[in-house]
Parts: sequence; structure tokens; C-alpha cells
Amino acid sequence: MQKTFIRILVAITVFLLPLKAFSAEAVRLMPVMSVYSDDKGEGLKLPEGVACTDRSLFIVADTGNGRLLRYALENNALKTAGTEIKLPQMTSPVRVNMNSKGEILALDSRQRRIVHISPEGEFKGYVEPASLPALSQYVPNGFDIDANDNIYILDILSERVLVLNSAGEYQKQIDLPKDHGFFSDIAVDFRGNILLVDSVKAMVYSNVKDRENFSPLTEGLKEKMRFPANLTTDRRGRIYLTDRNGSQIIVLSQEGNFLGRLSGMGWKEGLLNYPSQICINSEFVFVADTNNSRVQIFSLVK
Amino acid sequence: MKTRYKIIFSLIIITALIFTASAYSDNAKLKPEAKGRLCLKCHETFSEKLKSAYVHTPVKNGECTGCHDPHTSSYGKLLSADSSNICISCHKEILPDKAQSSHKIVVDGNCMKCHDSHSSNNRFILLKAGNELCLDCHKDIGESLKTVRFKHKPAEDNRGCINCHNPHASAKYGSLLKKDIPALCIECHRTDNASFQARHSGYPVAGSQCTSCHNSHGSNKAAIVFENVHAPVAEKKCNKCHNEPSSKSPFATSKAGIELCRDCHKDKIAELLDKNNVHWPMLDKAACLNCHNPHASKGKNLVAAATSNVCGKCHSDTVELQERSKNNPKNTSLCKPVREGSCTACHDPHASDYSLLAPLPSMSFNVCDKCHEWRAHSSSHPIGEKTKDPRNKNLIVDCLSCHKACGTANMPRMTHFKNISEGCTQCHKELEGR
Repeated sequence: MQKTFIRILVAITVFLLPLKAFSAEAVRLMPVMSVYSDDKGEGLKLPEGVACTDRSLFIVADTGNGRLLRYALENNALKTAGTEIKLPQMTSPVRVNMNSKGEILALDSRQRRIVHISPEGEFKGYVEPASLPALSQYVPNGFDIDANDNIYILDILSERVLVLNSAGEYQKQIDLPKDHGFFSDIAVDFRGNILLVDSVKAMVYSNVKDRENFSPLTEGLKEKMRFPANLTTDRRGRIYLTDRNGSQIIVLSQEGNFLGRLSGMGWKEGLLNYPSQICINSEFVFVADTNNSRVQIFSLVK
Repeated sequence: MKTRYKIIFSLIIITALIFTASAYSDNAKLKPEAKGRLCLKCHETFSEKLKSAYVHTPVKNGECTGCHDPHTSSYGKLLSADSSNICISCHKEILPDKAQSSHKIVVDGNCMKCHDSHSSNNRFILLKAGNELCLDCHKDIGESLKTVRFKHKPAEDNRGCINCHNPHASAKYGSLLKKDIPALCIECHRTDNASFQARHSGYPVAGSQCTSCHNSHGSNKAAIVFENVHAPVAEKKCNKCHNEPSSKSPFATSKAGIELCRDCHKDKIAELLDKNNVHWPMLDKAACLNCHNPHASKGKNLVAAATSNVCGKCHSDTVELQERSKNNPKNTSLCKPVREGSCTACHDPHASDYSLLAPLPSMSFNVCDKCHEWRAHSSSHPIGEKTKDPRNKNLIVDCLSCHKACGTANMPRMTHFKNISEGCTQCHKELEGR
């Protein structure tokens, strides 16, 4: 009898262990450092954007000071400390991304245009594709760049996502889903799927690569978060949302399942106050910790 | 093998015990009046209640045990379940699944705020008859019904509110309505006559939202039009915004989004769009109509509803926080704008050059300062633009270092912290554990 019981226990354990391994991996953040100032010691002011590359470069949209700052990391320390990029054509950068050539694209909230900047920090123009289908004008509220440098713009005026090639030429548009709340951000994952976050309904929608429509990836997650405003994905397709009013980061699986919440409201390093853009590379998670006037860098602990 | 016999033997014993208990229960005869009539022997005054015109069925049937446990209970008045759940256990149909709208007191299970659970001289064992009951809570509507010059009959007759509203929930429609608009209005108002067409400038409004212009509770303006009317509507120049009434799509607008409004409100919109932070909904397809009613409104500036309702359409999390803060007894000194749901007291709903859509450079030193003399704080604690926050060199000590301006639900004095010491030890580490 006892032997039978032990056999059953062993069988159950052997069966359950792989299940646990395949289930939602617990993700934790470990604070690595916080960035408070530029190379001249001037403090960041309400930064809303941060972009990163795997070449350890990261760019901060220092919104309150109307500039971008370029940093480089080496061995968990700052190699280059905040070189300023200040342009008359960009006075209120709120979101920033980089393409594979190191060029910077920044969304300016005052002009509501995407500014194109060379790797050296020179103004190259605005992202203004010709021959857009009606309407010819657009209002970008978020954008992302994929591995092939294609640009995906969330156009809230015409309720569509515009897809442009690396030269900024119009390729196609995808209508936003009907019956939505308000879309605040867009991200493209490693497979080319487009994700949108609806802040009002606390929902994520996805457009599977090459399909024509968006469909809900999650149901309304109001019970898990207050007002998700930005999103990004990691190399495994996991989705990270910054819950602005909830001052936390929400992690979802690529299928949209809730995996957990990270950080929380506070002033100490590791805690967040009104976070905005988030960027993840192979090593670190960068968060624009807006109301703490800093950018926090975390490592992912699994 | 022995174990198997033991299990079989135990099962036989358990089955026997269950059968015995069941048999005993069948044999334990209660007195015929035990379900309720017996109760009246002590609760003498209750017999008066039974003389009321309308008596709750279990009471009428003498089944006090329908709601009460005669011996003991974990709930008040010996109720057999929590008072917020006991009614719904029989009246499940009151709240349809996924109702489009539901009355808060019903959802909260506060049925006794409208009904007497035993008996009443009013139909449906209501505490009061007709509108009187509804207006006890909906005082603003009551006041308006009394004072408005042009009244809407259904809002005032004997049935009153329930002419149009379902008092519990509406499965398909908003605002507890029995039918959608205009179907509800068309039940009484004919739309196929010439005068109706003429009054609506020839536009085929029979299928439109009547409540976009008319206040169904009455108004001081003729035709119970809302008191604040958009100039083109007042002038009957609907074609300023819409296509001509004879066109294929008469209600389509000549321009999209903010461009339509810009035709008249050019300077205002230019000023707003020149700010660092434009409230993003202003720039989407609905633009101004996210918050304003383009035809007429009860509120000033054609705002579509009360401020907290308009803002709460998107920022429901913050409005809920305000509500929870209001209901928190620890928040004795809740800010007036939070108490009144007046978001625009601290935020510019259109655009701002400053963070959090603050209308002035500093949320703390300029906006809070409109009501609070924050400098008085500096006598007991340093505060101000020259006082660095020890937790973060980029921050200064300001009102928001300790307080959260939209309310903090369960925390006292609108602070971020459970108690004063938790707040102090944020910076004053030496006080920790004292």
C-alpha cells in the first residue's frame, strides 16, 4: 500500500515538474543603476522616452528640458554620460526609437511630428510620407521600428496604423479595431506582430503579421492595472506595459496571459512614479521614470 | 488486503449514519407555525404590518424563516445571509448578466433603501410612492423638476421616473432606460408630421439621439432643449457643420476631427495646439466631441456631462480613487476639487505647457497654492523650490512629495502613506523603528 502511494506521488511529481517549467516564467527586476543627469551634471526633468540598442547605447527623451541625451553602457556602468542633442525642430520629445543604423526618431508632442535625427545628432527632417491614403495628414501618438527598420505609426486622427519602409515611404495601413477606448502606444514584436495598448480599457490588441485586422489579445485588465500607457516586448515575445497611474510594470505572455507586476509606486531606486516609455535589450530593461525625473535601468532576473 | 476491508467497512458505517440522520430529520416534526406564525407571538407589533396593502410574499405566507434564522445568525437581525445578498437569492432576474446599465444601490444590495422587506402601502412594497422615492437621492433632478419652466410630462406624472427608466437595471440600454433613444421618445412623439420636420430644419432626425438636444427631465428653454445651446443649433444652421438635409448623408460633417471646430474656434484652437502637451483626445477622430456635446448641454461650455463623468469616461481609475477617498473616514481634510470631482480645478482639460496638464508651471507651488497656503508648512517642515528631496537629487520637496492630489483612497490626509511615521521615515531614516 505504502509503495503504491509513493509510486503515485512520484508519478504526479514527474508529471507536474515540466508543467511548472512551461508555465508563466516568473520575471523579476533587479535595479542596476539610475540615470539622473547629463554629462555636465544637469538633472533630467520629467523624461518620458527611452530607447535602447543591443550595442549598449541608449537615448533618453528628456522631455522637460526639451532635448535628447545619448548614453553608452559598459560593464554595468555608464561609459558615455548624457551627450545632449538639442534641436530647434524638436522642443518636446516624448517618445524615441532607434533604427539599425543608429538613427534616432523622436515624437515631438508640441508639433505632433516624428523628427528624424542622424546618429551624430543632426536634424534630417520629419517622417512625412507622401501619398498617404485619405486623410493625407496624420497625428502620431506612438511609433515603433522593427528589425528591418520599417516604421509603424499609431495615427489617432484616422484611427489606423501606418506602415512605412525604412526610407519613410508609405507601405500600407491597418485600421484600428472598432469600439475601443483610447490607444496610447504601439509596439512590434520579434515576429513582426503589431501590438496596441488601449489605456482606457486596459487591453492589448494584436495584428498577427500580414493579417489585415487587429483583434483583442487580452480582455480588459482593469483589475490588474490602472492606466497602461506604453508597451514593448522582449526577445521571447513577452509584453511589458508601463501602468502610468499605477506606477508599475505589468508583464504579459505573448499570448496575452497575465504573468505579474513589477516595481511599484515610490521614490527609492527600484520604485517608479508615473513611468512612461520602456525599452528592453538583451541585457537590461530601461524605464523612463517620469515623475522621479530619472531613467532606471534594471536587469531581468528569471 | 486488510486495508481494503477497512475502507469498505468504513464506507458502510458512513452510509448507515447518513441514512439514520436523514430518517431522524424526516421524523423531527416542527410545529405547524414554526416557519413564521409562531414568531408573531413575541413580535406582536408585526401583526400591524401584515395589514398593509402590499405584503412581501414570504411574510404573507408566514415564512419568516425565508429570510431569518430563528436560532442564531452571523448577520444582523438574525438574517440567514448578508443583507446585500439575501434579496438577490430569490430575485435573481433583477440584475441581468452583463446589464448595459445598473442602479448602484441594486448592485450594492441596498434593496432596503427603496423597499420595505416586510410590507408597505405602496406597490412593490416601496418605501415611498412615485417619484418621491427616486428624488430622495436624485435631489438635483428633483430640484430641476420643480423649477424648470418647460416640463416633460412623463417625468412628473404618477409613474414618474419609471415611465422611461427601469429602477433596477437595463439589460441593453444605458442610463437604466427601458428602450433605446429614440425608440422610447417615439412611443409618445410623432415624427412623421410636417411640423416636426420643420422644427428640425428638414433633417431626418427621427432616428437620431433626441437627448443630444433635448433634456428629458425638463428645461427652461422651449421644446425642453438643454439650456446651453451651440450657436449654430440655436440659429438652426445645422448645415454649418453637417451636409445639407437633402443630401445622401445629411448627418455627415463637412470636415473631420478638430478641423470642423476650427472653422469657428480658430484662435482658441490655435492657442491650444501651440502648447507642449495637448490632451491627446483633442487630436483624435472625435476630437472636441470626446468631451463636448456639439448641439446643446446642461453644463457650461457644452460639456457633455458633469466633469467627473466626462473625465471618468477615460480616467475611470482616477475617478474611482476619488470616490474611494470620499468614502474614507480618515480623509477628513479631503481637497474640495476631489470631493466635488472637479478635475478641471487642477488640470487644463485641453492643453498645457506643463506636466500632468497643470494649468500653471508647478502643480504644487502654483496649483495647490490656489487654495492652500503651502508656505505655512515651511514653519514645521522645509518645503519649496530650494529644498532638495533627499531621496532623489532631481526632485524638490513639494506638496506632492507627501500628498497625492487626486486622493489616496485608504491613506489619511491625502498622503501616499498609511500613517505619519511611514511618511516621515521615507527621508528621516534615523526615525525608523522608533
